[in-house]
Amino acid sequence: MQSEFDEDQRLWQSTVREVLAKECTPALVRAVVDADADPAGLWQTYTNLGWTQLVDASEMVELAILVEELGRATDPTPFLATMTQFVPLAPGVAEPKQTGAAVYEGVTARRDGDGWVLDGAARHVLDADRADWLAVVTAEGVFALPAARATIRRVPVFDPVLHVGEVTLAGVRVADGALTGADPEKARHQALTGLAITMVGACQRVLDLVLEHARTRQQFGVPIGSFQAVKHKAADMHVAIERARALAYFAALTIATNDPRRRLAASMAKASAGECQSVVFRHGLQLFGGMGYTWENDLQFALKRAKAGEALLGGADEHRALVAKESLALTGVDSRAAHV
Amino acid sequence: MQLTFDDDVEAFRAEFVAFLEANLPSAGEADRPSRSTADIPEWARRWQRLQFDAGWLLPGNPPEFGGRNAGILQQYVHLEELSKRRILHSFNPQGVGIIAASLLSFGTPEQKRRWAVPLLRAEITAALGMSEPGAGSDLASLRTRAVLDGDHFVVNGQKVWTSGAHDADVILTFVRTDPDAPKHKGISVLLIPSDTPGVTRRPFGSIASPDDLDFNEVFFDNARVPAENLVGPLNGGWGVANGSLGHERTLLWLIFAERLADLLVDFHPVTTLDEDRYATLVMDAHALRWMGSAALAREARGEQDVAALSVLKLLGSEAAQAATEAAFESAGADALDHPVLTGPLSHLSLEAYVSGWFERYARTFSGTIAGGTSEIQRTIIAERVLGLPRG
Repeated sequence: MQSEFDEDQRLWQSTVREVLAKECTPALVRAVVDADADPAGLWQTYTNLGWTQLVDASEMVELAILVEELGRATDPTPFLATMTQFVPLAPGVAEPKQTGAAVYEGVTARRDGDGWVLDGAARHVLDADRADWLAVVTAEGVFALPAARATIRRVPVFDPVLHVGEVTLAGVRVADGALTGADPEKARHQALTGLAITMVGACQRVLDLVLEHARTRQQFGVPIGSFQAVKHKAADMHVAIERARALAYFAALTIATNDPRRRLAASMAKASAGECQSVVFRHGLQLFGGMGYTWENDLQFALKRAKAGEALLGGADEHRALVAKESLALTGVDSRAAHV
Repeated sequence: MQLTFDDDVEAFRAEFVAFLEANLPSAGEADRPSRSTADIPEWARRWQRLQFDAGWLLPGNPPEFGGRNAGILQQYVHLEELSKRRILHSFNPQGVGIIAASLLSFGTPEQKRRWAVPLLRAEITAALGMSEPGAGSDLASLRTRAVLDGDHFVVNGQKVWTSGAHDADVILTFVRTDPDAPKHKGISVLLIPSDTPGVTRRPFGSIASPDDLDFNEVFFDNARVPAENLVGPLNGGWGVANGSLGHERTLLWLIFAERLADLLVDFHPVTTLDEDRYATLVMDAHALRWMGSAALAREARGEQDVAALSVLKLLGSEAAQAATEAAFESAGADALDHPVLTGPLSHLSLEAYVSGWFERYARTFSGTIAGGTSEIQRTIIAERVLGLPRG
């Protein structure tokens, strides 16, 4: 058992950080929000670098390393939805430069001659409004279809960088070939882990900004970071982030190795990321004082990315219930061995 | 990253498991329980000696000191197998884990022969005299004074919280030998036999019971200690404290991982809210082990990262406390019963599994207070990990 990154993984992490420091800058994110700048160029950069080729589940740890950094940088592209939601449901369907979104519920499939008819609607589908492809989970299987076949409307949300769409499929006819054969449960574990590690990255960004603020902001003649009340909140943020990060990478590794604990691990990752964002949002905004409450301050982007993640794919409460259920089911013969 | 240990570590584990299965003392042999952390019943002395002779007591030690030169991951699975069975390798854990370890690191060959080996072989037991009424978190302000007089030190002062002192044969005592030096630089360490004239030990009850006698006040009134009992350099006691506690700290989080693992079994959720809290326990147990594995790897490479260990200690101790409280509350009115069995009874554990939930919960505060309080840990994390200014 070893949670440390190996040398290749450390190298990969620093490569990703270097690229994002240059390409996905706070100024770009700000321009996307305030000046309607198009992140398509950034998506192009990612695809040129081969980042959309991390499609195999065995590379989940490497994908998680990348996605954590994207979360830290408030990535404005549809990378997360494409790579951790669409691709696991529809492997090999999209070209490397194409984007995709996943519809997990609300759609039914009806047999019609030699094909299928899809009907239904889903609200709050990540990046649906700018996807080339949709993967649609139904009781009859997972279908992949061009997004143009559906009616999609972008829904305004509190995170100004995030794209969320409402998808309507009204009697859309697809052929048998649209069935992807993917295992929707395993795909969901990948999606949960991807979202969880994104939230960890966003929380780390909040802490980075808070620490910089606490070291430089002076009151009563000293940096506010020298006050114990401030230190202890910062320490709690750090511990919450480390815990959530540990469980996110544990989940990524159970997916990469197809370990039977991945159902438990994916829910632990999402639940702990949710608990983490709660602590980090609360302490982060509090420690920034009035300055964090302004539109001009970039803190908002990381806070919102973390909080939005909690709202998607089930929050901490829902996943804690799954963790308890899954864990108590494992308890029985030798619960200590089953657990850790 | 990997989810499993390498084959050599698993082979080591299998060898130890075979030893345990062949040699564990039965409940019938355990004719009386231990009454303090320095009281080893005769049957448990035989058990410790057996482990010493077979090189399984402290596998990281060389064979002459009860080990087999095992690496840190082997030491980890060794402790994991003990913990799975809720058993202790010694009923004088601080004697084996801290005092003998300090002697092996800092002692003279004669001190190792005369004190360390008998401690490891359970021929004698030891207590650790660090805290004083005025020196808790601020340990370096300790005031127990030792003055060299010919070939003896004359010791005056008082220790407190000295676990097991009333049953211990010797007390590793931190004393001030240079009152004029800066506070960290005037401390030395003496091995003081507990029957030395002038040494008075007074055990006092814990919050659990007046009969739960492990903590002691220890008074030194002109106690004369042979100068040859100085451990490490004169006025070099702070280095001994850091050195001997350093190894202890590396694996300290494991105690909390073990408590969490016990709670996974002993906590029986009843309501939906109980289940929610149980889920938190499950996550803490996994996160602590997973994070701890990185600390083990650093230790294996010989790197010290004290501040990162603070994260593990803080997370582990507070998680154990929260989970114990949750288990306590889920027991409803049954939680009032005392004494009562709240987990499987193990004759090979010092932990009082015959104790009720109140006692188990109260005991978790030793985790958040002893060995650096949670408040101290948070400050260490903020300053040394996060780089916030001291002050």
